[in-house]
Amino acid sequence: MRNILKQNLAKQVVHWLLLAVIVLYILTGFGITSYRAVEFLTFGLLTKPLAFKIHDDLIIPFVILIGLHIYQQARKPA
Amino acid sequence: MARMVTLIVVVLMILQGIMIATSGCGIDGNESKAKELKSAEIREYQGVDLSSVDDFRENSIKGPQHVDAGSYRLKITGLVTNSKTYTYDEVIKNHQNYEKVVTLDCVEGWSVTILWKGLLVKDLLAEAKVLPDAKVVIFHAYDGYTTSLPVDYIMQNNILIAYMMNGVTLPPERGFPFQLVAESKWGYKWEKWVTQIELSDDVNYRGYWESRGYSNSADLNEDFFEK
Repeated sequence: MRNILKQNLAKQVVHWLLLAVIVLYILTGFGITSYRAVEFLTFGLLTKPLAFKIHDDLIIPFVILIGLHIYQQARKPA
Repeated sequence: MARMVTLIVVVLMILQGIMIATSGCGIDGNESKAKELKSAEIREYQGVDLSSVDDFRENSIKGPQHVDAGSYRLKITGLVTNSKTYTYDEVIKNHQNYEKVVTLDCVEGWSVTILWKGLLVKDLLAEAKVLPDAKVVIFHAYDGYTTSLPVDYIMQNNILIAYMMNGVTLPPERGFPFQLVAESKWGYKWEKWVTQIELSDDVNYRGYWESRGYSNSADLNEDFFEK
């Protein structure tokens, strides 16, 4: 019972983290290709260089999270 | 809650798809003019396949600039013996013209190979007579954009300031009247709508993107972020 709860919690964490990374990935992508609009909409917070850095740095967390997500979904419940 | 966030993600993805479809090929509001240019555009030169004038992505700081050729002036200022001011025709007709196929590599990941026609920046500098103290050439653009390159780079390489690409006059969105062809440098050094060339001794000068974290050397074989 406890194991199932732990597994569900881990699934939830990975799920939400993956979602956050995907959203950030898309936003920073816009921050590169449509930087004038994104800079305006974020009050100058998300500049093109910053968007580039975040976008580049997200690739490893994204690959890890997607791997974990697939593993959790494929695995049989305990 | 999870459904709502998923819905937002889907909407964002659709929006991204629409933006790529509408702007990814470099087609902007001036579509009718672009169609006229296509018919005259050269797409192959001495065995080299050329990109199209439309293959660029529009990523300038204030959008395409429309410069009037009649009132346009190119100024050479700063650490020179003779400051110069040229009209558009004077720049083109009073200087030796050159053609060269050069590839522009953008930091965004796309690149275009174009046949550029223009004149050598060093020919313009020679007329203005650069003073020995000058170390940096600062390029100013019509939209306020600036970038800089070392004097040695300009003098030791045949760096063009182009007025034609693939056999057609630069369209406004590509930098009419002049675009710098900063070969072997990242795209942010390829300034469009050049209006002034300033000689300076300020080796710490940073242009628009360089002052925002991009490398000042901008060499293609190095990362474009300042280390």
